[in-house]
Amino acid sequence: MRKPIHQSLSRRELLWSWGGGLGGVALAQMLGREGLYAASTNGPAPKAKRVVQLFMSGAASQVDTFDYKPEVARRNGQKFDPGGKVELFQSDPGPIMASPWDWKPYGQCGKMISDLVPHIGSQADRIAFLHAMVSKSNVHGPATFLQSTGFVLPGYPSMGAWLSYGLGSMNDNLPTFVALPDLRGFPPNGPGNWSAGFLPAQHQGTMIRVGRPQPIHDLFPPQGAGFVTPSSEKATLAALEEMNRAHLEARGEDSQLEARIQSYEMAAKLQLSAPEALDIASESPAVRKLYGVDEPLTQDFGTRCLVARRLLERGVRFVQVWSGADNGFPRRNWDSHENIAKDHAQMAGEMDRPAAALIQDLAATGLLDDTIVYWTTEFGRMPCSQGSLGRDHNPFAFTSWLAGGGVRGGVSYGSSDEWSYKVAENETFGYDVHATVLHLLGIDHQRLTYRHNGIDRRLTDVHGRVIDDILA
Amino acid sequence: MRLLVAFLAVPSLFAAPSFEADVLPLFEQRCQVCHNDSNPQAGLALTSRASLLKGGKGGPAIVPGDASASLLLAKTAGDKPAMPPVGEPLTAEQRALLAAWIDAGAQGGEAAGGEQTWWSLRPIERPAPPSAGGNPIDAFIQATLAEKGLAASPEADRRTLIRRLYYDLHGLQPTPEEVRSFVADESPEAYEQLVDRLLASPRYGERQARWWLDVAHYGETHGYDKDKPRRNAWPYRDWVIRAFNDDKPYRDFVREQIAGDALRPDDPDALIATGFLAAGPWDFVGHAELREGTRDKRIARLLDRDDMVMTVMSTFSSMTVHCARCHNHKFDPILQSDYYAVQAVFAGVDRADRPFDRDPATFRLRREVRARLAQNELALRPLQEALAAQTNEGVEALAAEAEEIRKARTLLFHAKTAGETPEQKAENQRLDGEIERMAAEAKKLDEERNSLMRGLLPAADRAELERLEQERKELIARQKTLPEPESVYAAASYFDSFGKFEPAIEPRTVSVLARGDVDSPLEPAVPGALTAVKVLPARFEVPDGAPEGERRLALANWLVDERNPLTWRSIANRIWQTHFGRGLVGSPSDFGRMGEKPTHPELLDWLAAGLRDSGGSLKSLHRRILLSQTYRQQSASRQDFAKIDAGNQFLWRQNRRRLDAESVRDSVLQAAGRLDLTMYGPSDEHFFFINDHSPVYDYARFDIDAQPTQRRSIYRFLVRSVPDPFMESLDCPDPSILTPQRNVTLTAVQALAMLNDPLLIEESRNLAKRLRAEGEGLDAQVRRAVELTLSREPQPAEAKTLERFADEQGLENLARLLFNSNEFLFVD
Repeated sequence: MRKPIHQSLSRRELLWSWGGGLGGVALAQMLGREGLYAASTNGPAPKAKRVVQLFMSGAASQVDTFDYKPEVARRNGQKFDPGGKVELFQSDPGPIMASPWDWKPYGQCGKMISDLVPHIGSQADRIAFLHAMVSKSNVHGPATFLQSTGFVLPGYPSMGAWLSYGLGSMNDNLPTFVALPDLRGFPPNGPGNWSAGFLPAQHQGTMIRVGRPQPIHDLFPPQGAGFVTPSSEKATLAALEEMNRAHLEARGEDSQLEARIQSYEMAAKLQLSAPEALDIASESPAVRKLYGVDEPLTQDFGTRCLVARRLLERGVRFVQVWSGADNGFPRRNWDSHENIAKDHAQMAGEMDRPAAALIQDLAATGLLDDTIVYWTTEFGRMPCSQGSLGRDHNPFAFTSWLAGGGVRGGVSYGSSDEWSYKVAENETFGYDVHATVLHLLGIDHQRLTYRHNGIDRRLTDVHGRVIDDILA
Repeated sequence: MRLLVAFLAVPSLFAAPSFEADVLPLFEQRCQVCHNDSNPQAGLALTSRASLLKGGKGGPAIVPGDASASLLLAKTAGDKPAMPPVGEPLTAEQRALLAAWIDAGAQGGEAAGGEQTWWSLRPIERPAPPSAGGNPIDAFIQATLAEKGLAASPEADRRTLIRRLYYDLHGLQPTPEEVRSFVADESPEAYEQLVDRLLASPRYGERQARWWLDVAHYGETHGYDKDKPRRNAWPYRDWVIRAFNDDKPYRDFVREQIAGDALRPDDPDALIATGFLAAGPWDFVGHAELREGTRDKRIARLLDRDDMVMTVMSTFSSMTVHCARCHNHKFDPILQSDYYAVQAVFAGVDRADRPFDRDPATFRLRREVRARLAQNELALRPLQEALAAQTNEGVEALAAEAEEIRKARTLLFHAKTAGETPEQKAENQRLDGEIERMAAEAKKLDEERNSLMRGLLPAADRAELERLEQERKELIARQKTLPEPESVYAAASYFDSFGKFEPAIEPRTVSVLARGDVDSPLEPAVPGALTAVKVLPARFEVPDGAPEGERRLALANWLVDERNPLTWRSIANRIWQTHFGRGLVGSPSDFGRMGEKPTHPELLDWLAAGLRDSGGSLKSLHRRILLSQTYRQQSASRQDFAKIDAGNQFLWRQNRRRLDAESVRDSVLQAAGRLDLTMYGPSDEHFFFINDHSPVYDYARFDIDAQPTQRRSIYRFLVRSVPDPFMESLDCPDPSILTPQRNVTLTAVQALAMLNDPLLIEESRNLAKRLRAEGEGLDAQVRRAVELTLSREPQPAEAKTLERFADEQGLENLARLLFNSNEFLFVD
């Protein structure tokens, strides 16, 4: 049998232990651009190199998007009685509520998709839908963590951080893992969703607040730092290097001191590359139109999807794009307890076109072959009504989908019952999706481990099963 | 197979392998994680000849004299062998060795009688230092060094020593004046006097509290979704600072944090200490919004107690008890029933604000009133449930009507827009009026319905309900006559309910859960601790009906019992870690099999026994370590020694360490002359805050000039969901996870934070201002700048370079340069 990754790297461990074994010196990682996993050769054959995760914060309704249930439409207004007690998050179950949108078949696969997301519908032949997703929690915070980190508790590394740790960087001038939060604010759990948890800080998702004057914190001096000029900056960095070299020389070998000198070189590269990567002005009118970056409704999500593509093509490994902010009022995410027709129309209107554009654009540039597009949400919504127009949470069945690198298109895996209330077949957890994505990236999810507080932690905890049915 | 063995296994040509020297080490290295005596997987323990012969589920592991018939060899054969299930297969040489040992009759290993007790569970004997006279710590360290062919490094110079001591004990740098006077002081007692002076300073408690709060994962918001602020968490932080400064004996330090309120009910400080139990995250939605009886609510409670179990046992025992929630611990002798025994200790508490008074008489009165309120609430609950169950047509009609109104109200609420035009504003105003009117109407209907339901209740019940409600009103009124109390966020068996979050009052039933599943309860758990600590009773004798505090007190007493070896080893190791960057055990919160073994077991026991037997003074323990030559060594590396011990685990030199985030921030403020040393009280918020349904914490929008934030970083308000990006770039950990040892990284993002963060820019400017105010002429200003940031004088050539730099780029850029230097950021 194979060795867990963390035990097979004596050279690297040696590097890490220099300078007093302070729990992880960056030099090893900074010198070797490859991640820990790249050093081993016996994982599954990689099909993909990059991932973009589109996260619908607040719980996007499967009943109104991808999980077609004629029975729900037929029995609109009848008492919801699926058998057994229906335990909801906030409310008692109201009558069955048909989706306010019509459904049509799309693509060669003929997938039935609602009029709420027609653009994604147009990409159906590229998509593998997972209709039997279940969550272990009915509460936004824990359930969002479960999708982003694999645990319901705070403090665990995000999927992107695991990939950074496992696969390393593909560039030397941009971060490995980038999070693009909604302009309106953070999702539940905030930056905890792109945290490195107990992994070393270089695996942290770098937050880029596209649309803000300073999208990356501290990338440049703040306004009003008048004493920092281009020429002073040059002189400062030169003097700093000289000082630090003299300091190092007086002390003999020390990988930490060396690593810190190099960190300033990497910082300078980031200062050059990041603004260029974020600048969409050079994109053609056709591409801008595709993403809808010039229309108010799609501007924010569209711009961020386009930025995501620019980052991916520049060697960023994992990009998280958030649709929706927190669960506050007026509604600014997918948590449509009160009025699904109004609030989902808004959220899907923002998301549908850019998400489809991202797939198309990645395909056009050839990146889709080794880039996974992973669309998810923390749980689904009920087929019955809450109040009279809203839908309460449904952790028992919801839909996620994958497209791109190594994923079979035009397929659906797993199914919910006639209501889209509970899973009927092939129950799928976030762990299974995580295991599948890792598999496509050439990682055996059971072997990507990190020792913390006495346990060899994994993204997939003690679970996870690769979903073979959706592999190309 | 035989042939291959003979060919490969050269040792077997000369002599059969020895069980103790060859076989057992292989088992220890590759097999005993699972096949140990404590929790043998498949019933098989690979620990002695007898246990191998006894075998497990598949039968005996060996047939002496016949390796090819032995299961041990069969299970490990091939490219993808069944065993070991993780890691590389055994090598051909290793298998040859096992085969040779079996073929030669599997001799040896009889006397062992099974594996020994795991090192951390053995009683602490006070070992004698290897050589008489001299410093005992140095004697232990040097004996090992000599054994390994290493030797200690010479003592560091005085400037290095004073800077090291200041950062270790205070997290601040010495002032240039202090450095000068220490360097000039020729007295042999100067060092010892400096150590004593630093230990006596209030800055010591502030520094020590930081690592303790890391271990306790103390934060000031709940975490999760809707990361609400905890406005009353800080008294616990202040308690920790005071406890370190007062050198509270460790025994009391432990007991008060687990059961201070039960130990000394009259003492508000003892109550505040239990803020430890509440320090971690709390699922607001799970507790306050989910309804009683739902599965998710039960999960929320289970996980909340799980956090308490994990925090207490990792912190004080350095054992990973939390790994036994779903099954017996896979590697350590910790039973699943042990885990639930510790859960049962916390069966009666949640995390909530607890009021207290500094005036003893008021505090006593308040506790009396609140004890009666708690009893009243217990008596009321069944009657309220009975009332809620009353119904008839009239009740249903009223309920339906109110529900309709509420639905309509919700729709109106969401019809409001964020618009700013006069028309939109007018419309919003109209809607608000409607919403208010509807709310009042619904409330009226509720009241009507309530009185109808009361009428349906049996007369005796109704009378009792009314009596209790009246009593409650009186008690609340009486409470209101007391002066306004202070509050602390702490462990609470009784608190004022809000939303659907209600106090336990009496311990809830905690059951052992099959596979950790809330839907699969087995037998009820009895309060207790670890059966593996054999000298102490593992289950507590707490009578039924005893106040829940008795359970926590029993656990506290179990922990501090002087026969409990874990507690004393754990803390001695943590204190050692603060001075070398690494403990004698490299995994400070895991003394189990998955953790690291001590590099110097006897030294660890000598320190632990000394602490335990001399009143538990942590300051004395620090002092003992700091006075050793081992601590005072230079940190410079040597190639020849690095080849033997690259990680310096045997301490042939001191470790060079990067400053932690708090020390960096505090030192920057200190050098700029802006550090505010005001202690204690509510935390400073370094962010822009909107107290929304889901609160907003925004560091980028914070106006650094608007609010004084120059106090030490220990007084920062710690948000769980949104960390301060500057502090985070310097590895300040997420307060949602236990952090017994911080990561140290050196990243591009960190370099950018040191260059560009508003704090650095602002304090570069302030340091420049200070330099201008304190010295005339560039040479004096440069000298002062180096002194204030690096605790030394510049060398002549260096001074020239820096003067030229300052002349061309200005003093602000000089300050920024020095703050970014490796010398500023590292301690030799």
